Amino acid sequence: MCGGTAKTTNQPGNWQDSARCVSDAVPGAGRIYRALLRTKIKKHAGVDRSTDHTELDNSWSCSEFDLNEIRLIVYQDCDRRGRQVLFDSKAVQKIEEVTAQKTEDVPIKISAKCCQGSSSVSSVSSSSSSISFHSSSGGSSHHAKEQLPKYQYTRPASDVNMLGEMMFGSVAMSYKGSTLKIHYIRSPPQLMISKVFSARMGSFCGSTNNLQDSFEYINQDPNLGKLNTNQNSLGPCRTGSNLAHSTPVDMPSRGQNEDRDSGIARSASLSSLLITPFPSPSSSTSSSSSYQRRWLRSQTTSLENGIIPRRSTDETFSLAEETCSSNPSMVRRKKIAISIIFSLCEKEEAQRNFQDFFFSHFPLFESHMNRLKSAIEKAMISCRKIAESSLRVQFYVSRLMEALGEFRGTIWNLYSVPRIAEPVWLTMMSGTLEKNQLCQRFLKEFTLLIEQINKNQFFAALLTAVLTYHLAWVPTVMPVDHPPIKAFSEKRTSQSVNMLAKTHPYNPLWAQLGDLYGAIGSPVRLTRTVVVGKQKDLVQRILYVLTYFLRCSELQENQLTWSGNHSEGDQVLNGSKIITALEKGEVEESEYVVVTVRNEPALVPPILPPTAAERQNPWPAGFPESPEGTDSRDLVLKPDKEANRRPEQGFEACSTGCQGPASGASWKPQNAFCGDEKNKEVPQDGSSRLSSCEVLGAGMKMDQQAVCEPLKVEMSTRLPDRSVAWPCPDRHLWEKPPIEKVTFQIGSSTSPESDFESRMKKMEERMKACGPSLEAREAADTAQDPQISRSPFKPGFQENVCCPQNRPSEGDEGESDKGFAEDRGSRNDTAADAAGQLSHAADLGAASHRVAGTAPGRLEAATGLYVKAEEGPVLEPVAASCVQRGPGLVAPANIPCGDDNKKANFRTEGDIPRNESSDSALGDSDDEACTSAMLDLGHGGDRTGGSLEVELPLPRSQSISTQNVRNFGRSLLAGYCPTYMPDLVLHGTGSDEKLKQCLVTDLVHTVHHPVLDEPIAEAVCIIADTDKWSVQVATSQRKVTDNMKLGQDVLVSSQVSSLLQSILQLYKLHLPADFCIMHLEDRLQEMYLKSKMLSEYLRGHTRVHVKELGVVLGIESNDLPLLTAIASTHSPYVAQILL
Amino acid sequence: MSGYVTTRAQLYLREEDRCWSSSCQLSSQLQKRQASRSLQGTMNAIVALCHFCELHGPRTLFCTEVLHAPLPQGAGNEDSPGQGEQAEEEEGGIQMSSRMRAHSPAEGASVESSSPGPKKSDMCEGCRSLAAGHPGYISHDKETSIKYVSHQHPSHPQLFSIVRQACVRSLSCEVCPGREGPIFFGDEQHGFVFSHTFFIKDSLARGFQRWYSIITIMMDRIYLINSWPFLLGKVRGIIDELQGKALKVFEAEQFGCPQRAQRMNTAFTPFLHQRNGNAARSLTSLTSDDNLWACLHTSFAWLLKACGSRLTEKLLEGAPTEDTLVQMEKLADLEEESESWDNSEAEEEEKAPVLTEGVEGRELTQGPAESSSLSGCGSWQPRKLPVFKSLRHMRQVLGAPSFRMLAWHVLMGNQVIWKSGDVDLVQSAFEVLRTMLPVGCVRIIPYSSQYEEAYRCNFLGLSPHVQIPPHVLSSEFAVIVEVHAAARSTLHPVGCEDDQSLSKYEFVVTSGSPVAADRVGPTILNKIEAALTNQNLSVDVVDQCLVCLKEEWMNKVKVLFKFTKVDSRPKEDTQKLLSILGASEEDNVKLLKFWMTGLSKTYKSHLMSTVRSPTASESRN
Repeated sequence: MCGGTAKTTNQPGNWQDSARCVSDAVPGAGRIYRALLRTKIKKHAGVDRSTDHTELDNSWSCSEFDLNEIRLIVYQDCDRRGRQVLFDSKAVQKIEEVTAQKTEDVPIKISAKCCQGSSSVSSVSSSSSSISFHSSSGGSSHHAKEQLPKYQYTRPASDVNMLGEMMFGSVAMSYKGSTLKIHYIRSPPQLMISKVFSARMGSFCGSTNNLQDSFEYINQDPNLGKLNTNQNSLGPCRTGSNLAHSTPVDMPSRGQNEDRDSGIARSASLSSLLITPFPSPSSSTSSSSSYQRRWLRSQTTSLENGIIPRRSTDETFSLAEETCSSNPSMVRRKKIAISIIFSLCEKEEAQRNFQDFFFSHFPLFESHMNRLKSAIEKAMISCRKIAESSLRVQFYVSRLMEALGEFRGTIWNLYSVPRIAEPVWLTMMSGTLEKNQLCQRFLKEFTLLIEQINKNQFFAALLTAVLTYHLAWVPTVMPVDHPPIKAFSEKRTSQSVNMLAKTHPYNPLWAQLGDLYGAIGSPVRLTRTVVVGKQKDLVQRILYVLTYFLRCSELQENQLTWSGNHSEGDQVLNGSKIITALEKGEVEESEYVVVTVRNEPALVPPILPPTAAERQNPWPAGFPESPEGTDSRDLVLKPDKEANRRPEQGFEACSTGCQGPASGASWKPQNAFCGDEKNKEVPQDGSSRLSSCEVLGAGMKMDQQAVCEPLKVEMSTRLPDRSVAWPCPDRHLWEKPPIEKVTFQIGSSTSPESDFESRMKKMEERMKACGPSLEAREAADTAQDPQISRSPFKPGFQENVCCPQNRPSEGDEGESDKGFAEDRGSRNDTAADAAGQLSHAADLGAASHRVAGTAPGRLEAATGLYVKAEEGPVLEPVAASCVQRGPGLVAPANIPCGDDNKKANFRTEGDIPRNESSDSALGDSDDEACTSAMLDLGHGGDRTGGSLEVELPLPRSQSISTQNVRNFGRSLLAGYCPTYMPDLVLHGTGSDEKLKQCLVTDLVHTVHHPVLDEPIAEAVCIIADTDKWSVQVATSQRKVTDNMKLGQDVLVSSQVSSLLQSILQLYKLHLPADFCIMHLEDRLQEMYLKSKMLSEYLRGHTRVHVKELGVVLGIESNDLPLLTAIASTHSPYVAQILL
Repeated sequence: MSGYVTTRAQLYLREEDRCWSSSCQLSSQLQKRQASRSLQGTMNAIVALCHFCELHGPRTLFCTEVLHAPLPQGAGNEDSPGQGEQAEEEEGGIQMSSRMRAHSPAEGASVESSSPGPKKSDMCEGCRSLAAGHPGYISHDKETSIKYVSHQHPSHPQLFSIVRQACVRSLSCEVCPGREGPIFFGDEQHGFVFSHTFFIKDSLARGFQRWYSIITIMMDRIYLINSWPFLLGKVRGIIDELQGKALKVFEAEQFGCPQRAQRMNTAFTPFLHQRNGNAARSLTSLTSDDNLWACLHTSFAWLLKACGSRLTEKLLEGAPTEDTLVQMEKLADLEEESESWDNSEAEEEEKAPVLTEGVEGRELTQGPAESSSLSGCGSWQPRKLPVFKSLRHMRQVLGAPSFRMLAWHVLMGNQVIWKSGDVDLVQSAFEVLRTMLPVGCVRIIPYSSQYEEAYRCNFLGLSPHVQIPPHVLSSEFAVIVEVHAAARSTLHPVGCEDDQSLSKYEFVVTSGSPVAADRVGPTILNKIEAALTNQNLSVDVVDQCLVCLKEEWMNKVKVLFKFTKVDSRPKEDTQKLLSILGASEEDNVKLLKFWMTGLSKTYKSHLMSTVRSPTASESRN
């Protein structure tokens, strides 16, 4: 994957505007889903689309994806009989084809290949071709009259044995539940998804044996289905197949079965049904429902809690009719595996496209696989009743082929369906470039619909239904309680959710899927919307407008990188790629180009504590930073020499990028302390010491030029004589040409200067090493805040040298800059001071002193430390393990402690436990360790006990974020489709014919196999018919009495219709589009507030007296469904009262 | 080999479980500790390196876990258990912790061979990662309070078992074509696993290679499957580098001492390698990298971090209400002043000077205490002071007609003057009345010894003897409530005992031009009255109702502001707009105009700035 991204660099994105395409290219996101998103752009008549959009009009090429390359295998594994293939779609030939193509010999060829020239082929084909299906005497009466297509079932392909072993594993498991597996087969490239179920037998135990017998009869090959590993082209595999199903491995169950029931209750959404919901960490956040849902997900899937199965694990393969009671004794004996194999295109790009689609959309694939499984169950049960063997097989095969055909079609549709290129809400959230045009375009469409199709309240009804069921819009209008004063009245991203994602990662894809389906209320409903109509253009307009109200979170893809420099002498991979991207900031205006280098080694080199031997040496050879410190000091004076020396010394710690700022730092005396951390030598003078500050910048990859400019200026003003010392870029070439090392950031908020300064600031703040305040920084003057945001790992001083900095969000950046600016005065003031201290400190050689020395005036804590350090008793070096105890401790390993002076400066600080053991190679970080430990008590407690692990700093990360387009928000909002489709959150179609056929089963299936990986209470489908001007809601719960209707008619909410009217009127009064949209949001917020009132009202009432509400607030009875649905997102008890 | 694998697989599991359980018994104290620790942290994924040892079968070599802070905000609840532990720790000091270490089964496996876990005889170089006595590795992610911890085995018993299961399945149950490659497997009970098996070259091993796997375990199977492409890329990268290192070593060894030739010469016995002391070589020696485990720790931690942060959501939340904004603005203003001014609260800043001016000592001393209790109205209830508790209460006390007049003036922004000797009463009246208005529209001088102009305040409390200028008395833009001591009979026989205190007062509401009884009044007033009248609606409902009504009308105000002040649209248009807003009646218009003064600066400046920006104003034609 790493390598692949390089390709994206030069690919023109032709499906969005150029700027966006660049940004998409960064992490490879654009590459991956371009094809997927290359949907037919729906041109909305009357809407001007820029011409570049028309180019996008390529449908996703399905040549890359051959339907028939989806293969189905059904296997059974029985204690007594071993493994048997019950079905292999590769072994099935449609008879018409066979006869038609017989001359071409194709199927024969295949069969021959499969069967290795067995003579049985012809006999099979002849025998089965004689079978024709008429009414079967057996059970399957409802299928009886159908004329089934004829198939011949030949011998399964040669790889089935191998595949069977992959499905079941070489050792049988005693685990009773179903297991899921995914295999990737390299050659030929295939993706196999398989599920193994315990078979649930009824009275017809062993009836699959009948089926098997039939196959054997047909194939005249008694060995079929037995394991046979002789011809495996897939590389070495375990032979000795009979061993493969020896006694089952006793997977000890951990005695959690009794918790199964509670497993359901723990599920995220369902728990919202509880009156006292799961204690939420921050109930005050306005987006509490979104937040809570995500928090719960994180909790329920954490390994800690997750040991308890979240879902009941009794998913079995039913071989019994529902009336038959299962025979528990048999359950363990027989397992059925269903496997679906996708043959992948040999072309790498296409293969990756499909894989990305597959893995990101896996829940949908799985859901359809479950459907397929049900069909197979049915077929097996039904065919048992057919007495005649060949008929039975024919029936069975055709049933399975039918089900497989459906599966294939669904997958193909899902993959290739035309998508709405620019869902309004998502585009507004992400694409800030043309927001205004977007607003105008949307509003134009919106008002057009209000005017034209709302005569009979059609549009109001549709919108009412959408707002009622697709509830994810509610959190987006819930007012924030405590906005930072800077925030203006626009919406902002939820900080609490952001933080949650960082601290308790949950699956954003899952969260987004739930949002889209509106599954955030209580009880959980999963909703889809279909717009039916012959007028394609009109349907498309409606779809487009609805994408504003069907909301979900936008996904961002973050690529973390660390700079691959380290001291271990690891090879740096060649072929680093430069990626250029126009990066959009969170703040609209900011934009910057990121040029970055990919392809860091996968093994992240640790920054190791020096060994004891090295410790004795004040300049441990293996220690990267120490020599660098020296160098940098020297560098100022004789850079060329240094340049040559560097590589030999193996300074990997210093990335080329860091040199720039580093040398710059040498002219900033106040940064001296950074250098001091590493410098064990006494500086000749203050300024030369300061040169060691190169560390400072080290963390940043900066463009040489960009850095140079400001720095040179400073340099000339401050220390003009040193300007000659500016390192020439060649110096940094020791491993890579500088350009490869460079991240070039342009932009208002990230000017090189500010980057540099913020970096320096960060270094200073490092001293504070405060507890990990997770709050978004509110005050620029709290120095540690920016630092925390940017350096998630406090790797210690040395580490900064080699690690790119994690880019903070724009806002943070700005604030930290500001903070820096504020600090600056004091910094300058202290500069001289610091220099003096430095020279003084140099004598002592105590890094801690110097560090602290720079700090006074800015960082009280550090100052305090400094003073204490001066007075502190002389201590032995702190053992590594001790240092680690302080949770906040940073990279003790980094700091060489060979220097005796340094040891002298250790002080006991607070109550940090110290290990006196001499094997510690860690010393000097003590200073910081103490600091952080002191300031970090709350955090510290939990690790102080028992765990004395050696602390290794994580490399500082740089995160490159791009909009992710491989997500449900971009794939499940579809356009005008040829037929009704089951999975899509939104789509349009020409007729409701297929809809009528499938809807009921689809809804039932949705409830039984929820794609959300958690139980849902109800599946809902909103059907808007523009031909009949009706809006109906079909649900899995209520049976519709009227056969002509798909669902219930929607009650038009008067809140919604008045909203529509006033937006239309405002628009007609020529209020600007963006203002109209703000007003629209305000009105939606009003609905939310009214729902709050309603929920408050319902607290005391079991019945709603509509009149009371109407008089006071204008809530009418037709508003109630909408408002209660909204209320259910924030007040779960509402549902309980009303249901 | 596969036969070997399969027959031994169950044995492996049982063996280790037995060891595990015995170790558990040995250290019940430890378990308690671990339990408390596990309550604090949650782990969403584990990455482990596993090895199929030719002597001992599948073994977990190295395992990196994630420890999350208990709460996203990293605060609060962590403290109590954390501190408890700390105290405990301080007592025992280092001895205690080292004792624990000895009992830790996880570390026992790697640290002290005498401790429970696989017995020494069951461990060979190839089965071991960290050297004896090595405590493991840890890395902190300060931003997120996430810790990454590496040991040979997870220390948590359940996780130990989960990893063990996954390891055995990965190396001896699941079948991967070619034996090298990715597999996903798992179930709800044992977790879900992404496994990548691979070979490492070893010149001394059977077949010149050893078999390993890197596994990632999660309970969220969807998440894990979603991450497959990412994990595959990263894990593959790690494997490539490990293999590369091993290949170099292998080639060097082959160059020095070609094993193949040597083996050709000696008769091969299947157990040769077992007797060979070098047979079970550690991965460290196979890769000739002494820092391998530290490196793997960092890499695994990095992998976990990168995987966890690979996708992030951008989730929008609603705009703050105008009231919130105004409050925030006031707070910010206050903060600016707070350097010189200590303990003032948003609304009280004006009160302080006024109070000091002319109130008797009793009230003066009470002032500060009062101001702090003002923030929560509930706090004065126990004192049974004669106060208004809610609008409904006030309406009951004043009587509907008087209340309506008063409320009408309040909503319109006219000056509301209360004359009373009882400061608390006046304050409570203002606290109740202000809830009808947006925060930005409220300017209170709670109690003054002299008349204050209307531009300074729309709520003014006066002591009884203060003279009100005649023009104010006759003004239609002011309403005066005079509070007298009541005659024996109360005005309203409203009964609850709390009202006793108020019954001693008589309230006279007067205005220069009384509102005509038949006047429709602003819509919002009628709705408020309806809500107050309806006893079915609880106080909370009424509060919520007021919030709704205010926001509803503030939204109209916003439109009007945009229309008239920002865009300066002609009068006819404004008239149209007003009727669209349902506010064309005179009183409603007045109300909107008054409420416009309550818009937050933030909102106003935002509207102004959007207008100034070039793109914003060009509307469609």
